[in-house]
Amino acid sequence: MRWCAVCVSLLSFILAAVRADSFENTAVVRTVELGGSLVQVTTTYAVKALQANAKVYTIALGDAEKQTTSWFEAKVKGQPTALPAVDRGSANGVHLIDITLPQALALNASLNIVLDAVHTHATYPWPETASQQDEQALKYKTDLFVLSPYHTAVQRTKIRSPSPAIHSYTTPQKVDAFTLDAPVTKTGATVTYGPYNNIAPSANNKFISEHQQSVVLHFNYEYPVLEVPTLKRSAEISHWGANLNIQDEINLHNAGPALKGHFSRLEHQTQSFYKRSAPHVIPGLILHLPAGIRNTYFYDLVGNVSTSRLRTTPSVPKNAQANQYSVLELKPRYPIMGGWNYSFTLGWDSPLADSASFDKTTGKYIVQIPVLTSIPAAVVNEAEITIILPEGATDVDFATPFPAVSSSMSTHITYLDTVGRPTINLVFKELTERHAQAILVSYRVPLSAHLKKPIAVAVAFFSVFAFTLIARRIDLRIHKK
Amino acid sequence: MPTAFPLPSDLSPATVTNTASLLRIVALSLISGAAIASRLFAVINFESIIHEFDPWFNYRATRVLAAKGFYEFWNWFDPTAWYPLGRVVGGTVYPGLMATSGVIYNFLHALNLPVDIRNICVMLAPGFSALTAWATYMFTKEMKDESAGLLAAAFIGIVPGYISRSVAGSYDNEAIAIFLLMFTFYCWIKALKLGSALFGTLAAVFYFYMVAAWGGYVFITNMIPLHGLVLILMGRFTSRLYVAYSSWYVIGTLSSMQVPFVGFQPVSTSEHMAALGVFGLLQIVAFVQLVRSHVSSKQFQDLLFVVLVTAGLFGFAAFVGLTYKGAIAPWTGRFYSLWDTGYAKKHIPIIASVSEHQPTAWPSFFMDLQFLIFLFPAGVILCFHQLRDEHVFVIIYAVMASYFAGVMVRLMLTLTPVVCVASAVAFSTLLDTYVDAAEPDDAVAPADSATPPESGATAKKPKKAAPAAPSTGSALSDLVAAAVPNKKKGIYGLDTRFAIIVNAVGMLAFFVFHCTWATASAYSSPSVVLASQNADGSQHIIDDFREAYYWLRQNTPETAVVMSWWDYGYQIAGMADRPTLVDNNTWNNTHIATVGKAMSSSEEVAYPILRKHDVDYVLVIFGGLLGYSGDDINKFLWMVRIAQGVWPEEIQEPNYFTPQGEYRVDEHASPAMKNSLMYKMSYYRFSELFGGGPSTDRVRNQQVPKVGPTLDYLDEAYTTENWIVRIYQVRSEDLLGRDLKSANAFAKGKKRKRSKPVSRRRPIL
Repeated sequence: MRWCAVCVSLLSFILAAVRADSFENTAVVRTVELGGSLVQVTTTYAVKALQANAKVYTIALGDAEKQTTSWFEAKVKGQPTALPAVDRGSANGVHLIDITLPQALALNASLNIVLDAVHTHATYPWPETASQQDEQALKYKTDLFVLSPYHTAVQRTKIRSPSPAIHSYTTPQKVDAFTLDAPVTKTGATVTYGPYNNIAPSANNKFISEHQQSVVLHFNYEYPVLEVPTLKRSAEISHWGANLNIQDEINLHNAGPALKGHFSRLEHQTQSFYKRSAPHVIPGLILHLPAGIRNTYFYDLVGNVSTSRLRTTPSVPKNAQANQYSVLELKPRYPIMGGWNYSFTLGWDSPLADSASFDKTTGKYIVQIPVLTSIPAAVVNEAEITIILPEGATDVDFATPFPAVSSSMSTHITYLDTVGRPTINLVFKELTERHAQAILVSYRVPLSAHLKKPIAVAVAFFSVFAFTLIARRIDLRIHKK
Repeated sequence: MPTAFPLPSDLSPATVTNTASLLRIVALSLISGAAIASRLFAVINFESIIHEFDPWFNYRATRVLAAKGFYEFWNWFDPTAWYPLGRVVGGTVYPGLMATSGVIYNFLHALNLPVDIRNICVMLAPGFSALTAWATYMFTKEMKDESAGLLAAAFIGIVPGYISRSVAGSYDNEAIAIFLLMFTFYCWIKALKLGSALFGTLAAVFYFYMVAAWGGYVFITNMIPLHGLVLILMGRFTSRLYVAYSSWYVIGTLSSMQVPFVGFQPVSTSEHMAALGVFGLLQIVAFVQLVRSHVSSKQFQDLLFVVLVTAGLFGFAAFVGLTYKGAIAPWTGRFYSLWDTGYAKKHIPIIASVSEHQPTAWPSFFMDLQFLIFLFPAGVILCFHQLRDEHVFVIIYAVMASYFAGVMVRLMLTLTPVVCVASAVAFSTLLDTYVDAAEPDDAVAPADSATPPESGATAKKPKKAAPAAPSTGSALSDLVAAAVPNKKKGIYGLDTRFAIIVNAVGMLAFFVFHCTWATASAYSSPSVVLASQNADGSQHIIDDFREAYYWLRQNTPETAVVMSWWDYGYQIAGMADRPTLVDNNTWNNTHIATVGKAMSSSEEVAYPILRKHDVDYVLVIFGGLLGYSGDDINKFLWMVRIAQGVWPEEIQEPNYFTPQGEYRVDEHASPAMKNSLMYKMSYYRFSELFGGGPSTDRVRNQQVPKVGPTLDYLDEAYTTENWIVRIYQVRSEDLLGRDLKSANAFAKGKKRKRSKPVSRRRPIL
């Protein structure tokens, strides 16, 4: 038996080693769309199979890149479905991800794999402070080479800035081994590194220490940099009220350059009068809330904020494709300058029927709860999501669209509850608008649980009346008249 | 007997009693509903928010109580108030209000009703107003009957004089105090009527609650002894009075001393001496009564004379001696200002600077009480007609409260309940007389018919025929009889009745309209939030205060000390959660004067003061852009006066006026005014807003100079949307050791070249 085990492990080791050479990258093109909090990185691998029946392709990310990647998705170019990805963890400064192709490739067959990723906290303001009239500039730092465990024939990196005003960019040194032309070219708002030819398998320490280097791009950014350090969402399902209440406690932070000197209302009013608002001011947000919501509230620690506008749309029938939403123009109490914070609470009620359904075969309710309402171009550093189910719900199951950092169950006691409501607590990190997907929760609620509350209230009232009834008829006087 | 209209005769007394009782319950619930509903204008027009200034402190304290429990609250030392002195909150507040909210909060949470503590605080005053209506009903019932009680309850439920202090969000001590006042008085009257130690103790318990809730408890402390004293002087000493007073005084005083803020005051200050004196007098009188029943009348008279004279002399000498030696504290300034309305302005400007301590203007009596103000004397006269012990109480209460309400605006609140009671007695007498179906019997000789038959009323309201209450209808008819002698008196037919009753009901209807209007327009503004109208008529909320406070809360370090005039201390602590130098608990006059001095002196003088007090931010209220008249420039003279009280050499009020004696902020403003920190902070860069055109201060309707003041020691940190709140940061000392003015001049000299083109371009834009 032991011999067998050794054999198997040896075999798998050999297989793994062999697999490393099962593909070749004929071309790797990485396109970086620069932004504030979010940077979109699309990497296209043109892959050729060097072995028959090759099915698992491995993607390598540098450690720094892995840290900033908050979301990624691999697809075959032109196909809508995402490919299953298995994280192999990091070793030697490289993080490997296995992607299973839809079908095994024949020898010398080729395929284009597109890796779509969103990087957060990849840029930082430079200079770190800016006065009210100043422009806003950010720096973006990234690795020059796209790592891969396979040999790469040609590779290039295109970095697109939102504005043509690029203050500076690094010219890579010692890349003569890969190219004879200029290592970097700039056209308009795009800076292109490469093409670099004939790159050996690079997902190893040797390549990284010899050739890998970082490049820095300093560019102008005309929109505010939004960051949400913490977000607390609680979703409360009520069957009696046929209601789904969602409440977000949001801390908003302007992660752009900190305000130099002081805020002058006069300057701000002059700027907004001439419609030349400074790029690093957050004057407000426009959020897309679900259709059919009511009782929307927006308040902060000192009370209601009256400066917002809401346009609601009626509920959309289920399975309808119409993409409708209510629009909330949310204006904080004060314009959020660079480095300033604003925390607030936003909540609404929506008809439960819009997001719940009943499965007759299993007798369970299924409710979908969005992880977050997307705040455009913002990153949520940490999100705590609490889902409060009806009192007496049993067989609770839930499925998250992407793994949570932690999840637990607890009990929440609220309006006239007797035993409390089961609650799902989830923690997520580094969320972006791409994460605005739904958590599916299924549970069973017996009829007796529904009736628990009215019975409890009725009993309480009945006992009060009964007590009065008796107490009125008892004479406790010492001196009877 | 003839009746004006047919009366049902086939009703059993039990049916009548039960129906009347049901109707009373329904009426009282409707009155409670009206009392609560009419206080909700502020919540509906604005939001569920704590109003004004003091309530913000109460709210903050209540939050501490709800979050940390009673003992933590009791021992709470607040280092952020009165920086750097701090404040022992547990020992310097009347905790009754917070404790009440805390109990309600914990009760609701025990029932798993997670009501926010803010909503409890906001709704406490309306809730207690319903209880006040009930307590007033009980009190008035003792004066006349249930129907008068219902009227009084309805009056107090909606009368603006009480609503002014108890709208939703007005979370102040008065919110629960008026209920406690009325209920203590009710218990006292009941104890006196029955000679009941139980009701005496109840009165003491509610008196304790009142002491724990409001500084105005002194009013009860003096009203009840005064009533007792008057009764003794009228020769109405009874054992009932003795039992009631003794049980109230002993238990009430002992329990009131348990409130830390009151402590030993009940035995050591002049305000409480009357109660002690009457207590002693009662003992003497009771003893004298005992002696009288044992000795002959001649001996008794001698004895009485000697004892009374010696006891009186000893008592007075002891009082004077103890006051002189300091064992009994003399009257406080606030007390003197009750007798001499000019006293405060001369000696304690800080008390005079509060608008609610001003003498009442005549129109506000009508504004707050409407038609009750002329029913009130009629009610008091009707009390004279019967003059039972409890009527004496109402008469004394009416006289005292009328005086105090005339002296101080805020004491209108204590007058309101008695006005409602007396007016209800008068109005109910009027209705009794004219609703009564009985007509005078022609056969009876006119001279004998002093009391018109009451049978009709008896059929309708059987309780009215109780032996204790002689027919109240007779009071009015007596008056009529006195005016027109030798004529048969009474009311004939339906037309007279109809005319009077329609008139009376009309007055009631107008009263309701007036109350609704006064509440909605005058008493329902949170004053934290201002309302204005957009061009299309929709409501626009001016929310500058909360904007500034929230900015402070979110974007300054938690330890940043904020200096502002004391009016805003509680709000800054409550909304911005930052340490303040002075606040609305004006216990330290010198500290307030220091702030006044900093505000009214020049930058060079103010800067060391600011640095010594670790001030990081200075906050001023400026209404010049919007025309908000309650701003700091308008309060500025009070700052000057209060500072002058402590530093008469450095700050002098006349320096802030022009030579012609005008208070101006334009080019003719006096140099002291122009150089004062307050002026500079208010108008810093204000004229630039007008782009070179005439820059008008809309509050004072004056044109401020085109070249505005410059600041060397402060930086503008934040200004709100409508410029109402302006926050300045205090600069730290120059790194090179220069004074900030020359450092600034140096920096500006360098910058001048660069900034010139900008200033040239500005007019073109």
